[in-house]
Amino acid sequence: MRAATSILSGLMWPSTLRSRIFLILLIGLAFAYGLSFSVLYMERYMSAKAVMLGTLEHDVATSIAVLDRLAPDQRVDLVDRLGRGNYSFVLGPGLPGVPDTSSKGVEILGKIEEAVGHRFPIRIERIPGEVSRLQAHLTLSDGSPLTIDVTPKGVMPIAAWLPYVFAVQMALLVLCAWFAVRQAIRPLGELAAAADALDPNNKDGPALSETGPSEVAHAARAFNAMRERIAHYLEERVQILAAISHDLQTPITRMRLRADMAEDSPEKDKLVHDLGEIQRLVQDGIAYARSAHGSGEKNARIDLASFIDSISYDYQDIGKAVTVVGLVQGAVFTKPHALRRILSNFIDNALKFAGAAEISVGRGAADDIVITVMDRGPGIPDDMLEAAMQPFFRLEQSRNRETGGTGLGLAIAQQLTAKIGGSLRLYNRTGGGLAAEVTIR
Amino acid sequence: MDHVDHVLIVDDDREIRELVSGYLQKNGLRTSVAADGRQMRSFLDANAVDLIVLDVMMPGDDGLVLCRELRSGRHKAIPILMLTARTDEMDRILGLEMGADDYLAKPFAARELLARIKAVLRRTRMLPPNLQISEAGQLLTFGDWRLDTVARHLLDKEGTAIALSGAEYRLLRVFIDHPQRVLNRDQLLSLTQGRDAELFDRSIDLLVSRLRQRLGDDAREPIYIKTVRSEGYVFSVPVEISEPRQ
Repeated sequence: MRAATSILSGLMWPSTLRSRIFLILLIGLAFAYGLSFSVLYMERYMSAKAVMLGTLEHDVATSIAVLDRLAPDQRVDLVDRLGRGNYSFVLGPGLPGVPDTSSKGVEILGKIEEAVGHRFPIRIERIPGEVSRLQAHLTLSDGSPLTIDVTPKGVMPIAAWLPYVFAVQMALLVLCAWFAVRQAIRPLGELAAAADALDPNNKDGPALSETGPSEVAHAARAFNAMRERIAHYLEERVQILAAISHDLQTPITRMRLRADMAEDSPEKDKLVHDLGEIQRLVQDGIAYARSAHGSGEKNARIDLASFIDSISYDYQDIGKAVTVVGLVQGAVFTKPHALRRILSNFIDNALKFAGAAEISVGRGAADDIVITVMDRGPGIPDDMLEAAMQPFFRLEQSRNRETGGTGLGLAIAQQLTAKIGGSLRLYNRTGGGLAAEVTIR
Repeated sequence: MDHVDHVLIVDDDREIRELVSGYLQKNGLRTSVAADGRQMRSFLDANAVDLIVLDVMMPGDDGLVLCRELRSGRHKAIPILMLTARTDEMDRILGLEMGADDYLAKPFAARELLARIKAVLRRTRMLPPNLQISEAGQLLTFGDWRLDTVARHLLDKEGTAIALSGAEYRLLRVFIDHPQRVLNRDQLLSLTQGRDAELFDRSIDLLVSRLRQRLGDDAREPIYIKTVRSEGYVFSVPVEISEPRQ
């Protein structure tokens, strides 16, 4: 109804398809229904009036003729019997009234005049009062006055219960329109929800129900087939990457061993360095493919403080400057390997560009856990922070070949963050340096 | 006559077998090679071996299958170093779960392989474990704690995982493998040295204090790791092996 009023005011067209279709159906049906109702009403009114006036014409003419012929004393006996439901005869001049010029009065006057064949001059008057009442005054041939008292009962061509039927029918129409719209719109909503929740990695996830009307079932089948195709492509991608990397692993291992066997020389060092780069690319490529595909790792409740400490100790034990500057107590429910990999990628970046990393853990607005890895390196220009999370992104001025890296670290971190249901943010710190932040619930 | 350690290399790639074999020989080890599980079994039936370098990705019976077979058979005392082509954490865990003593991801530096082989040999020779954790993947229960040897973390009474750094885990495993036995600092240091042996230079005392902190042990009145004056440390709580998880 709110939608209907807004339409009436012409201010707003409802935004949902549901309201629009509902509104169109409702207005259309109500209009058509109202139209046929009024036509019916009009037709019935006309015919009822014709019948009534016709009766009035004949009966009144006959009655006046009879009364005119009778002797005045005999008229008294008869006058009451000549009356009908909506008119009666009164001998005498009647009540004082005001001249009536309404169309109804004129019409009735005309009918009576016609009926009596214009033999008696007739004057019609309205009697003021609550009830609509007309009196026609005429003088019979013997000079005595006669009054026809007319109480036009509103011509009600339809039964009193009919409006209720109309109301019930309207309610039924509203209900049907709403139900029909719901039928048509609901599968669309379900399809959208399924597309939103689409996780091709989770093959065991519920497929869209393929029941319902044939169009809906068809759309659901097509959607499920698409879902399977996506899952298949993703699987294929991982398989291809795994196959390539496996096939590369053996020759790289051979080359590495051969290089190790060779005499020490600058050439050997360069070869080992290049092999290291190839190897890292292969490993990060697999890691990236797997991060998109999901490792099937289960959630576990982990103690936050010992988790962060263990990461920093592992780095410290191999001589890296990784320190914990802030901790909160408590446990989180997450995928520990994925989270460790995310933080390791942040830390590796920080170590690469700044030589040192600081880890800080705090609680966010909604009591979620915010883990931040900070450095005092060159940072990333603000307009490139988004792009930095794309695979194979490199800041050319700072990330040259010397620093190594495949440009997959942050992309992997972002994929894994999505997998653990968290969010990732990069920002430049005041005073220089980059902060990489992962928020988990 | 000095004992020369005999290493069996099991890898399906001929060149890798020969390269590894050549490198190890150059560095004073005796080596033999096998191309698959069948050759490995027949070689072990006729020869004594000190360590097996086992490749994971092999046609036929792969390294994981062979590892489990070795661990449940009569050769279960031979240390195994697994070569894995995969780098994924879960695969590493799987290898250790099957009972390998250490692992190395391909491609690897020959120098590192040699260091690992020596570390594993030193470990098993220096102090054979009292508690034979032949099938890892079990929960080790002591005091209020359980140690998950697959995920390599502690579980408290409520089941919350308490993460351990690599060095902390290795130290705890040394203690757990040798309960109620006084271990001196040199023993602890060499047994704890793992992957990054040459880089690891934390003193044992610092590591013990970290571990005590993880276990909620008060340094003045420790329950789990007690100090033995001028000798070293002793893990004073009995350890039980729980059933593998599901």
